Amino acid sequence: MNGFPSGLAAGLRLLALLALSAASRPLAAAPAGFYLCAALNKGYVTGSKITTVSGLFKRDGAGGWQHIGYNDLSITAAAFDPRDHSVIYTAAVNGCWRSLDGGQTWRQTNGWDITEGRDVAVDPRSPDHVYLALPDGVAVSPDRAQTWVRRENGLPDRGKYTQTIKVDRAHAGRVLAGCESGIYLTENGAKSWRRVLPTAATVDDLQQAWNDPRQWAAVTQSDGAWASIDGGVTWRRFPGVPADHALYNITFDPTHPRRLAIASWHYGVFTSEDSGATWTARNAGLPEPHRVARVGVDPDTGRLYASVVNESLYTSDDFGRTWRRGALEGSVVNNFITVPVAVK
Amino acid sequence: MKKFISLLTLAALLVGPVFAQPAYSGPMPVPPADTRSDTLRRAYLDRVREVLVWYAATAKPDKPETIGTGQIVAKLALHQDAALVSQRIIELMKQPQTGDMFWMFPWAAISFLGRDQLSPAAKAAIRDAWRTYFPMRGDTENHWAMYYSSLYLMAELYPDDPADSWFTGKSSAENRAEAKGYLIHWMDLATTIGQGEFNPTHYIGEYAIPMLYLATWAKDPEMRIRGHMMLDWLMAELADNTLNGVLRGANARTTEESVLERWNGLSSFFSWTMFGNTPPPAAYGGFGIFFAGAAENYRLPEVIYQVAVDRSQDYIQRDLKRTRRRWRYSDQFMPPIYKTSYMRRDYAVGSYQGGQSDPIQTHVWDVTWAVPDPRGVHNTLFSMHPYASTEVLQMYFTEQPDGLIDSLAGQGKPSFGVPDKILGASPYERVFQDRDTVVALYDIPAGTSYPRINGFFSKDLTHVTEDKSGWIFAQGGHTYLAYRPLAPFHWEHLLGYRQLPSAHGYKWERIDKGEQGDKLLVSEQLRNGTIVQAASADEFKSFEAFQAAINALPLEFRLEPVPVVRLTTLRGQRVAFTYGQAPVVNGVPLDYTKWKLFEGPYLNAEKGSRRLTITHGRLKRVLDFNTLTITDSVTP
Repeated sequence: MNGFPSGLAAGLRLLALLALSAASRPLAAAPAGFYLCAALNKGYVTGSKITTVSGLFKRDGAGGWQHIGYNDLSITAAAFDPRDHSVIYTAAVNGCWRSLDGGQTWRQTNGWDITEGRDVAVDPRSPDHVYLALPDGVAVSPDRAQTWVRRENGLPDRGKYTQTIKVDRAHAGRVLAGCESGIYLTENGAKSWRRVLPTAATVDDLQQAWNDPRQWAAVTQSDGAWASIDGGVTWRRFPGVPADHALYNITFDPTHPRRLAIASWHYGVFTSEDSGATWTARNAGLPEPHRVARVGVDPDTGRLYASVVNESLYTSDDFGRTWRRGALEGSVVNNFITVPVAVK
Repeated sequence: MKKFISLLTLAALLVGPVFAQPAYSGPMPVPPADTRSDTLRRAYLDRVREVLVWYAATAKPDKPETIGTGQIVAKLALHQDAALVSQRIIELMKQPQTGDMFWMFPWAAISFLGRDQLSPAAKAAIRDAWRTYFPMRGDTENHWAMYYSSLYLMAELYPDDPADSWFTGKSSAENRAEAKGYLIHWMDLATTIGQGEFNPTHYIGEYAIPMLYLATWAKDPEMRIRGHMMLDWLMAELADNTLNGVLRGANARTTEESVLERWNGLSSFFSWTMFGNTPPPAAYGGFGIFFAGAAENYRLPEVIYQVAVDRSQDYIQRDLKRTRRRWRYSDQFMPPIYKTSYMRRDYAVGSYQGGQSDPIQTHVWDVTWAVPDPRGVHNTLFSMHPYASTEVLQMYFTEQPDGLIDSLAGQGKPSFGVPDKILGASPYERVFQDRDTVVALYDIPAGTSYPRINGFFSKDLTHVTEDKSGWIFAQGGHTYLAYRPLAPFHWEHLLGYRQLPSAHGYKWERIDKGEQGDKLLVSEQLRNGTIVQAASADEFKSFEAFQAAINALPLEFRLEPVPVVRLTTLRGQRVAFTYGQAPVVNGVPLDYTKWKLFEGPYLNAEKGSRRLTITHGRLKRVLDFNTLTITDSVTP
């Protein structure tokens, strides 16, 4: 909460600023691709005779999902080189995989000392730089994941479990990391980090608004949902979002700057259509218990997706007011990825 | 915790139909009195051959589905039916592959066993699967031992293959370097600060099999001798911690079945194979065939054999171990485990200091008594706090909190989230052991899952007597037992688990065997404690004399504000133990910082030394990972 005056009035001023900002700015460049990482593994355990196809999927022109690359149910995140979308990085149990040919061939980029990648991000203004969130900190590659180096100066020795990592698209080398002890910021390509928001438990997701790179949102396991309007330097709670149970992810709607959605196993789906000033549970039509692992918004249509664990990918064309069962039966979606237009 | 199935379930999947096995259903084996090298060797090879022959016989040429990796390993090891096996391999390789590191090590073994037997097409089919199938590396040390040993060996078998021929996208040389780097790192940890997943009843196979494979097939002599030395290390520990072949005492990981029927684990397959002093479990523990396939290449040193079979002298062994790595919510990455074992002819007592150690399947302490035949016998006594917490699971696993407990149950670990469980560690338990006395103290915060202490009382105990003194006396085999609950309690039937048919994850039902079954002593006071003392029946004129001796011992305890026990043990030791403080024996506080890697009459190693000395009588073997030497000597 650094830098904010305390009290409800200050919160309302923040939300007014968010709304004003949202209303006054156009969306970023039109997105070009919408992907998800999913494990289609209902009932699967190692040794089972169940054959599953899991991993990275791309939304095709007909609204279906096309599997890309190798079969891996542990992929938690993917990132693309903004210059060339055939360069793909995945974060997975084995670490970080990279494809240079659109998923035809892959290389495990790391050695044994990097494991269980949680998130991966490419710096759009310095695309050779790749950031990897790990259970024991952060690794950075300066050369498209040919090599990795640990850059954890400023992260605590204990407390640097990193669930999510995002690069500020407006500034090269400016990165936010969601760790078990809070949100950390670097402005020098991870040479040093400083904590900008302490939390009691893991920060599960960080997102940058499409219409204004100064706006960020975060959700946590035990501290609710948070907003920033100054590039992640200071943070304020979103009012009305409960904090008794874990929130898994938050997403901005690329087609509508005032809309956000939150996923939670316990609460299901929350949405806001006023830049986070008010939130509404949107679970009518979702199976009970809700058990929502992830929400995402189609950058072309504004369709809201909710992954209900081991059930299906539910869709809503009215931002959560009604839901219908969709594709990917028996799946858990670990991430949605929206990719802006590539040069190539 | 990436959806990895329980070993028992996986073993059942691998094995297929179970029918009579000679050693499993036969009489209790007796270790040969003649310990000359050729006699021991012949008996060992006979046992290995029994496994191979049994497995090979389960393969029916007219029923291809009966020929899986276990049967293929058996037939190749016996040099049978190479054409049939080659054909079946080609069929299997056309199917989608699954199993990750559990897939890798059988196919690595088949690749080596089949070098001179399989058709070129079969070998090519296996080799291509290492390009097209992407196994996960897993999230535990046993996963990594299997993954990297297999990858290392395959990269040596195909030493010059390019990056695009491997699923990793790395060349053979790169795969070898990565795998070797990890394996040496793991050996360094184990030989300096202790093993993770220590003394596991089932997971011993996931370490012993890869080490055997390195010892057998590694081309690099460094990796070959490292594999051999680590296998010696594992077998020496097994020998030292088994009572007549039964692995007892504290386990980093065991199962609902093995924690009661202490014999019923893959560890007994290794005791049977190596020492011949207990029967193997059903289907040779499932994974036994994958050891048997290369077992002729290992020769158990006689010193380890003697450590396993000689129970003529009582001994205390203290070992240093460690927990698995903690990713978050903890100040420590791999906290130390201080383990104590007291071994006698009639019984054994084992423990570690308690507290939160490993996240699942942990067993902290017990008294286990010897029985003429351990099959079906629940020959153990202990208490524990049934603790369940998603935050603790998240210390070790990267998953989100919700659903973690359900996920565990679906993987064949059904008891994590039930209050009557008998498996698992608790941050609110502290344990001290002095020889055959155990004091376990509990200080459970209100609101903790679950607010009770579970004391396990076996169906196989006799003369269970609730004495007016507060002690509960019982007899197990030739062992007298005294159990003192420090707070009021009631009795419950311990419900068992029966697996149900399921195509989607592990399903079960609870079963109540009524008064004929095991019982739980349940005490719901949050500040609590248990004292157990054991003695051989030979030490007393009668059971009543044992009870009188226990009742005559000085004992004071209180539970508020924290549990405190002061007592004199049957062995005359004055023990004072306060929850949260170092135990004090005869006025001297215990200093865990002085704990060695191994300290006892048979196994000795300094912390950080990378050097284990195994001794028995005049025999000595030194495993020195600093110089990669195995040194045998005999005292003149």
